[in-house]
Amino acid sequence: MSSDYELSDNEYYDEDDDEMMYEDDDGSASEMDVDFKITPSAKPKSYEIEYESLTQPQVEKLITQDVEDISGIFGVEPDVASLLLRHFNWNKERLIEKYMDNATAVSVAAGLALPEKAEPSSSRSRSTGSSLGLGIRRATRRNTAEQPKSGKTKILERVSPPADDQPFVCPICFDDSQTKTLSLSCEHKFCSECWNTYVTSKIRTEAEHWITCMAEDCKLVATDEFVKSALKDDAKTFARFQELVVRQFVSCNKNLKYCPYPSCTHTVSCPAGASKSALTTIVPIVSCGANASHKFCFGCAIDADHRPVVCGVAKMWLQKCQDDSETANWIKSNTKECSKCQSTIEKNGGCNHMTCKKCKYEFCWVCMGPWTEHGTAWYSCNRYDEKASIDARDAQSRSRASLERYLHYYNRWANHEQSAKLSVELYAKTERKMEEMQITSDMTWIEVQFMKKAMDEVFKCRMTLKWTYAMAYYLAKNNQKELFEDNQRDLERAVEELSELIESSIDPESALALRQKVTDKTVYVQKRNEIMLEDTANGYLEERWNWNIAVDGFDEPAEIAI
Amino acid sequence: MDARLRRVNKEITDCKNDKTSKIRVELVDNSPFHLIGSFLGPEGTPYEGGHFEVDIVIPDSYPFQPVKMKFITKVYHPNVSSASGAICLDILKDAWSPVLTLKSTLISLQSLLCSPEPNDPQDAEVAKHYMTSRASFEETAKYWTHIYAGGPGATKGAKVVTATDSASLDEVVMAGLEKAHVDKFEALGFDRSKVIDVLRRLNYRGANVAKLNDDRIVEELLR
Repeated sequence: MSSDYELSDNEYYDEDDDEMMYEDDDGSASEMDVDFKITPSAKPKSYEIEYESLTQPQVEKLITQDVEDISGIFGVEPDVASLLLRHFNWNKERLIEKYMDNATAVSVAAGLALPEKAEPSSSRSRSTGSSLGLGIRRATRRNTAEQPKSGKTKILERVSPPADDQPFVCPICFDDSQTKTLSLSCEHKFCSECWNTYVTSKIRTEAEHWITCMAEDCKLVATDEFVKSALKDDAKTFARFQELVVRQFVSCNKNLKYCPYPSCTHTVSCPAGASKSALTTIVPIVSCGANASHKFCFGCAIDADHRPVVCGVAKMWLQKCQDDSETANWIKSNTKECSKCQSTIEKNGGCNHMTCKKCKYEFCWVCMGPWTEHGTAWYSCNRYDEKASIDARDAQSRSRASLERYLHYYNRWANHEQSAKLSVELYAKTERKMEEMQITSDMTWIEVQFMKKAMDEVFKCRMTLKWTYAMAYYLAKNNQKELFEDNQRDLERAVEELSELIESSIDPESALALRQKVTDKTVYVQKRNEIMLEDTANGYLEERWNWNIAVDGFDEPAEIAI
Repeated sequence: MDARLRRVNKEITDCKNDKTSKIRVELVDNSPFHLIGSFLGPEGTPYEGGHFEVDIVIPDSYPFQPVKMKFITKVYHPNVSSASGAICLDILKDAWSPVLTLKSTLISLQSLLCSPEPNDPQDAEVAKHYMTSRASFEETAKYWTHIYAGGPGATKGAKVVTATDSASLDEVVMAGLEKAHVDKFEALGFDRSKVIDVLRRLNYRGANVAKLNDDRIVEELLR
């Protein structure tokens, strides 16, 4: 066994190699893993989904394609086409339909042309898209060296403003010494300094990709080229602007999702996980490819691998854990309210003669009636057997039972969650152990990597186990659930055994034997985890799982059996 | 000179030079970035005759980000929080444009007093009052203008105030409620301030009174 368990260094930076199998652009991870695989076949596993990771330039290429299409069809500048598409949330079909219907109205609505007023030259702006009032007008006193990039774009450069007797005063900063002004085709002139600050603030502070003219009520929007010239040489802000455009494109396309990890710019394309109805049969966990830890769910907002639970159930569980509804549940089953001042009271022993600490109201804990009415019948509440109080007690015990059931699952869930949080420490500890082992026994650094591999596997399985408790909480009680819990038990037992092995002390003589044991166990745990995931995934496809609660997209539970 | 300072100084000078609009801007502790603006309540509204003060803070990114404004003077208006003076106005948020000035913004506030937008309220309770019984709302707004903004006396308040129950009456009128209604529930043994609170919350005014039966009120009072 150990002979085919040779590992190369690179591998340890991939937390989940299986994920990477189907990625075209991540070659580094794919091949090295083969020798450690239980099933060497390339057949996709039922709990995995096909997806593609895209870098920002790749998405930009998609954008350029769309823009060029529209630019070609309408005969407009690419910048114009881009704005039109952005205005229509990248819905090409709708844009084409509307634009063919009434190009002028679309241009005005998209902020590309001024609404027609009684202008004598209006016929010019009405004719075709190519003459949309889009050019950047730039007035400078000195002729700037900058040349328009495309010969077609109308950038008007003026050697001097038409009326030179009155110095230009920027209406925003009231500076009369500014010599460079910029304006969109609406001719609302502002100094280039103000434009620069404005555009920067829009991009940086407001994360806005749609930058309109600064004048009040002017809806004209700045082209990418204008944004670039307004930003002057602030390449960073312009890059941010382009990222914002990419983000908008991605958010408008349901087959794409932006990696939710901070400052990651990768995008994942996963058409299989895009439809809401698919989410009842698959759990579309994807990885953006920038970093192996950037794993998230394509179908919902959870930034982690929540297999084997489907999105709807996972969301419900998290909501339940987060809500203070369970706190309320506890309060409900353990406390009562003073019938006079409504303070919450927990009875911590003693007799049924209660005296509210706050308002000094005396009452009977059993019937909640005033104590005075009990007369001389101390300690034997004569209202005890009344139907109302029986009902009340039944309700209380039911609520207590459901609380206990929840806590059973929650504690196990939280336990795995907690151990995941402690994994950083454990990794450090394991690393120290590996060093120790290197010194005490004859093993090389590469040979002791089995410990880290085992750690990785334990961590991964704990994540699976964690979510299986969320799933079990909502599974309706039947044979299927029992099989599920058997798998869960097997996995959990194997994981616990493996983590015990990892944490056991090292004896130089038995190091080799330990290595063998850990390696075997790791493989076993990996296999159990696969069985767990595989079986649940198949269960979704075969519609085997029944919930004890209504879940989005699934049939209503017939009879709630807990 | 820093562009923001130059711009704010010019705006302050402009307001000082403009005698017609009756809009004033004054410095708070000598910083031109914290000001108090004031204007008169527009004519033909319940705010007529009032003098309204607005706290103005100029952010660092001004004029590219909007000024922060809130009423110092208490105003009874659907788009102004009756507790904090916070204002719900588009140009103070996303519709801001760098060409807008302190003066033009204060004029916008003035015109907001003329034309409330109860469908986009800042103060939901006041908005409810406005929507259900306009006359009663205006009565209250006028009363607030009188009490807080130094406006002319409201018909109701001026008439009945006596030395003994002026304090409690103020509270009732202030909330836009009828004294008789408050008295009725107070007579049932509830705390007066609680009655006012509940009736205001449930909008026990004008036509709405018929829709709310006494049991509902009592239930709410018992909570």
